[in-house]
Amino acid sequence: MNCKELAYMLADYFDGSMDPRLREELDSHIALCEPCMRFAKTYRTTCDKTRELRMDIEYQIPQDVRSRLENFVRSAALKYPEMVKEYRDQAEREQREKVEGLILAAIAGKLSSITALLVETHCAICPVCKVYFDGLPRAGSPAPGAPPTVIHSHVTRLMESLPPGEEFFLA
Amino acid sequence: MSAERWKEDEVLLERLRKGAPEAVTELLRLFQGKIFNLAMSILKNESDAEEATQDVFMTVIRKADTFKGNSALYSWMYRICVNTCLMRLRGKRRNDTVSIEEFMPVFTEEGMHASPMDDWSKEVERKALNEELGQMIRKFTDQLSEKYKVVFVLSDVEGLSNEETAQILGLTVPAVKSRLHRARLYLREQLSRYLLEGKAG
Repeated sequence: MNCKELAYMLADYFDGSMDPRLREELDSHIALCEPCMRFAKTYRTTCDKTRELRMDIEYQIPQDVRSRLENFVRSAALKYPEMVKEYRDQAEREQREKVEGLILAAIAGKLSSITALLVETHCAICPVCKVYFDGLPRAGSPAPGAPPTVIHSHVTRLMESLPPGEEFFLA
Repeated sequence: MSAERWKEDEVLLERLRKGAPEAVTELLRLFQGKIFNLAMSILKNESDAEEATQDVFMTVIRKADTFKGNSALYSWMYRICVNTCLMRLRGKRRNDTVSIEEFMPVFTEEGMHASPMDDWSKEVERKALNEELGQMIRKFTDQLSEKYKVVFVLSDVEGLSNEETAQILGLTVPAVKSRLHRARLYLREQLSRYLLEGKAG
């Protein structure tokens, strides 16, 4: 081992993750090589001092920043439960529309090939969905209402397994 | 992660999800200093760091619902902070950083130390030097590019394990180790030059 190799192994040497035999090799090099001894010592001291002086090295948050931040976050957080409700309602609405859109596309025969395949594979193992999809009205007849909850959740999961950016219908 | 730690995180998050005002206060008390420090070390500007810290807390409160307890709350927050800050840095002119290569140890072709080596480890034991030394460490590491800086701050200043740092930054453990080691080599060299100059002057 030469000094260069030793220098690049010092992190492992000091964090204790080094193989004991390799460690012995480093120890005997350091014992005979003055520059390496100095190098290793100052490397170690650099690490120790960083930890010891942590409070001086860290940026302290100024008092005015602290109080502005507290006011801002607290007042925003108070409105949070309403925001969440609104957000969830909206997400649910959008999801319902998407599921109904998929069913309409299925009726119109406009599912993308990958979606059609997903539906078919799923129906092969899920009798409930098979009955539902087989029983869909033909194109042109009045649209069915919202699907039952179980169909809704299965179709949601099918759509989640589409690759990102992939649409379920044919343009 | 210890079971208690996980439980404490979970309790705090549950209260946050319900919008309990004391939970927000608690979250601020525990993390605002740490998050501000991390944001400052990446952004190097107080008003940017303040805005980033606000964003981090809002994201955490908003996403308390979706947090999965497979990492500690603090490492999740650090991750949000790093992402928020790096997004802010995008497109901005980077602050001047030094080339780390200039401060790597130099070796001869045979792999021996090529420059004279001074042992200053005894000198810095004097407590009187501590404040100055802390400021120098901060100044020197501030000049590092984010790539090294963030790893150094999380691992050596904040004291996280290499595994935690890797998880927060989405890096492999060997990548963290290598960046950390280079950051330390750089800092060791900067400190050597600084202390040697002090002696000469």
